[in-house]
Amino acid sequence: MGVTDLLAAYGPNYLSALLTTWRLTIASFALVMVLSIVVTVMRVCPFKPLRLLGDLYVQVFRNVPGAVLILIVVYALPYLKIVLDYEPSVVLVTVLLGASFGSENFMTGINTIGVGQIEAARSIGLSFGQILRKIVIPQALRSTVLPMTNLLIAVMLTTALGSQVPMSTPELTGIVSYINTRESAGVATFFISACGYIATALVIGFAGNKLDQKVRIAR
Amino acid sequence: MSAKVASAPSMRDALYEPPGPKTRKKMIVGTAVTLLAVVALAAWVVYRFWVTGQLSAKYWQLFTWRTTWIYLARGLAGTFEVALVSAAIAIVLGLALMLGRTGRIAWLRVLCAAVTNFFRGVPSLLFIYFFFFTMPSVGVSMPPFWMMVLPISFAASGVLAEVFRAGMNAVPKGQTEAGLSIGLSPWKVKTKIVMPQAIRFVIPSLISQLVVVVKDTALAYVVSYPDLMQNAQVLRTNYDAMVSTFLVVGLIYIVINYLINKVSVYVSRRTGAKIIR
Repeated sequence: MGVTDLLAAYGPNYLSALLTTWRLTIASFALVMVLSIVVTVMRVCPFKPLRLLGDLYVQVFRNVPGAVLILIVVYALPYLKIVLDYEPSVVLVTVLLGASFGSENFMTGINTIGVGQIEAARSIGLSFGQILRKIVIPQALRSTVLPMTNLLIAVMLTTALGSQVPMSTPELTGIVSYINTRESAGVATFFISACGYIATALVIGFAGNKLDQKVRIAR
Repeated sequence: MSAKVASAPSMRDALYEPPGPKTRKKMIVGTAVTLLAVVALAAWVVYRFWVTGQLSAKYWQLFTWRTTWIYLARGLAGTFEVALVSAAIAIVLGLALMLGRTGRIAWLRVLCAAVTNFFRGVPSLLFIYFFFFTMPSVGVSMPPFWMMVLPISFAASGVLAEVFRAGMNAVPKGQTEAGLSIGLSPWKVKTKIVMPQAIRFVIPSLISQLVVVVKDTALAYVVSYPDLMQNAQVLRTNYDAMVSTFLVVGLIYIVINYLINKVSVYVSRRTGAKIIR
């Protein structure tokens, strides 16, 4: 089957798959940002137990394969009487994985600021809150635009794990399996989905670069 | 204080002034409260396991048998086989893509840039589906091993091409100019002067990318290739021990990847080369 035949037969399916991927990506990324900030605050807070818990979180979710985590959430958690629907499960897994990288990005952003600036701020009498609000957070945010853009693309790619569970509307990777179990449709099935991912990634990358050029701090 | 900051200039510590007696008291209280919260969280997790009967011996005793571990180790060997072969192919392919992209032939530059972005922008799971579903439908079928190795190495080579390019850019431009001015050909300059330094520079990054490859191999159950994950699936059906098996396997992956990261950081510290992600 060629691309045109395939789009004629399955066009609406592809469209809903693309929208599902976008929906999963946006929902996950918003939550990734929230959780990343929480984890990062834990890692820089003065209380040792929280620091350790934050570090442990990052080590666990940075190193666990997505395939293992999705199977744990979807098939093992119900044994512990924690039952989530398929789509929230995919979002949960993507968020858990993404936030470990998001927190690493924030930590790198914080670390590039330099101890000297904090000492300077303190010596002119800024309070702890002021140092965070006026020195640390603005710079950390501005220098993490590009890494976070890459993370957004990575989050989109991670939502492909949705193909491993029977979601009501398959996303871009799941649709390939959906069509190929019905008929032998050839390379085009793969190609259309790939284009959906690439086009989205290009837009994200372009927007991220523009934003980065605007806010980057030249050092 | 200043000597301490100079020796360990960690932002985590620089954020806080040295505490006075009042703050120290608050810190102790805060630490105690948060410790309690963390312990409570851990206790809640254990409690969930306990009330649902998941701590029962029948779910865990299989991990006291030698045969279980031998079976898992055999799976792990499969994981490593796929990971190492994929990594080797990805390095060669990534290097080729980078050379094409930074070369002097215009159409090859465009092609290699497009392929690099394609490999980076598509989930490895979709690549696996490509080899699992669509290749057989056009009459090309291959053993499960290659159905895993090819997609994983394609996905990784896109990232590695960018890593290599960053390594090439890290070599000062003056060296290229010096090489050209003493009459070396551009190809010679690239292969004899820039690349040897660039490769040394990216070694820690290559090691840390191995983590991504190992994580991707966990999808091998899709094509029924006997890796750690696939063998774990067999174990959990045989012993009806879903929670314990997946937790143990997850832990194995975490430890392996943690160690790979440690090696990469160690090499990076020794050689002074930064890790590019």
